[in-house]
Amino acid sequence: MKYAYYPGCVAKSSAHELYNSTALVAEKLGIELAELTAASCCGAGVINEGDPFLNVVLNARTFAMAESMDLDILTICSTCQGVMRQLKWQLDNSPTLAAKTNEALAKINMKYNGKVKIKHLLWALIEDYGLSKLEQQVVKPLKGLKVAPFYGCYILRPAEALQFEDHEKPVSLEQLITVLGGEPAHYEGATECCGFPILFVQRETAFEMGGNYLNNAKQKGAGFMVTPCPLCHISLDAYQAKSSKKIHTNINLPVMHLSQMVGLAVGVEPKKLGFSKHMVSMEKVLRVL
Amino acid sequence: METKEAVFRILRFNPQQDEKPRYQTFHVKIDSRMTVLDALEDIKHEQDASLTFRRSCRSGICGSCAMKINGLAKLACKTRAITEVDRYGEVLVEPMENMPQIRDLVADMAEFWLEIDRGTPWLIWDESLTGSIKESLVTNERQQVSGKLADCIMCGCCFSDCISRVFDKNFNGPASLAKIYRFVCDPRDKEGVKRVHGLVEIGLWSCTHCYFCWSQCPRDVRPVSAISELRVLSFNSLDPSQGARHVDAFTDSVGRSGMLNESTLYLKTMRWNVLRDVGLILKMAAKGKAPSPFARAIPRMDEVRSLFRLAKETRQK
Repeated sequence: MKYAYYPGCVAKSSAHELYNSTALVAEKLGIELAELTAASCCGAGVINEGDPFLNVVLNARTFAMAESMDLDILTICSTCQGVMRQLKWQLDNSPTLAAKTNEALAKINMKYNGKVKIKHLLWALIEDYGLSKLEQQVVKPLKGLKVAPFYGCYILRPAEALQFEDHEKPVSLEQLITVLGGEPAHYEGATECCGFPILFVQRETAFEMGGNYLNNAKQKGAGFMVTPCPLCHISLDAYQAKSSKKIHTNINLPVMHLSQMVGLAVGVEPKKLGFSKHMVSMEKVLRVL
Repeated sequence: METKEAVFRILRFNPQQDEKPRYQTFHVKIDSRMTVLDALEDIKHEQDASLTFRRSCRSGICGSCAMKINGLAKLACKTRAITEVDRYGEVLVEPMENMPQIRDLVADMAEFWLEIDRGTPWLIWDESLTGSIKESLVTNERQQVSGKLADCIMCGCCFSDCISRVFDKNFNGPASLAKIYRFVCDPRDKEGVKRVHGLVEIGLWSCTHCYFCWSQCPRDVRPVSAISELRVLSFNSLDPSQGARHVDAFTDSVGRSGMLNESTLYLKTMRWNVLRDVGLILKMAAKGKAPSPFARAIPRMDEVRSLFRLAKETRQK
């Protein structure tokens, strides 16, 4: 298994622990990552709101790079995944947009052909690696604590563009948690927005959103939460103290990146997974596991 | 045709009898063609005549039968009962969210209509066009956009599932903004793009892009896309709001290094408000998690700069 690896900006900046843990997991599972070091930011749904065409051409350039390597793109960020998959869907369904985009790409000697696939690590583990094979790699099952899956938005909706699973009742995270030996916690809010997209504009609303879902998960007995998106991680972990204050509850629920959770179960040394960088201590989780 | 018994769990409430809403379970024989509305009619006619819900056209046109089905807003007449049973094991039916329950499945849509009204949802005729041949000229491109937006049947599904509205009552909601954009796109409208002014105050930047309004719209109106387009227009009109600054700072950062610089984005968007996060910033720095403000440009940055130039030229055209 080899992918054109697109870690995204946040995994290479404030969430370096996600970047590092993904490398360790990939090595352990024999997944080869050829990083697209010259790829630009996906725009995170923000550039789109200033200049939609710029957003299209920047991502089409990334797609063309992967196509020239004859590899599919692997992301570890739901937002990158959602933005890129939606743009690919638009390009593949609009010959006019594709032609206009390729006209721009031709100026830098590149071309988007439409053959590249874009997959989040979560989907790649399920579709390409296989859950039964992953189960065989588990040396340290996630026993003793319930795990709250937090999907967020961009890995689920809009479903017709993402084309992976039922956005109303997704199961991929629960399936992954289960094969890693854990028990998924069922709570209200797992498929809602973490609040990150309005964190800089409507802070108090964002804190309340994140706080509510964290608290719901905790009330259902979760020992920790897991998310496939580093932006959700910022909202749920870094800003958890502010969310706690906003909803007048001491939440104190640790939040893991997806690759950290997989890493723990397949035997990567916990110290190397970067838990010390989290704002909410992971100590009690590591003690139980 | 094969039939099977399905469980319908319905949130009942009669303000004249009940202190608070309660769930009541009904068993209904369903086949693969039956909609949730068919099943509700069955219950009303054969089990409990007091069950109250709105319905009219039964064809997904009037929008009357919008309700929460297994947690998400849908038209009961467009939702097959068997699909819900296969997915959830039962059919949980509740009135729409973000609106008070009047009785059983009937929600009070007054707030929804109030928000629609806040957007002046009618054509303001440009009198200078009267008698002119230009008065009804609409390009195909514009018609494709405004025609899709005009498909809205005001069912309230997007308003019901809008997570921003749950926490922020100042946010006027997806349907209202989509309706505003419908008239912004209409060349006969006197206000046109001027309608964008003042939208910041009613929540233009409150939408989180959760895409529920796209997913749950029975007419595929995609309000979230209309909101993005309104933001583009507000940005182009040099709207000085924090949301527009955020877009500007984000794009500028990618234009400089190819990547998002989290530090400069944060500083430029938040300005003095960063002082509210001093404690958090120090904690993050202590853990080696604070992003560096000095970003190194990605390889082949010249290509990214060329694309920025090309996009700018396209925009200006």
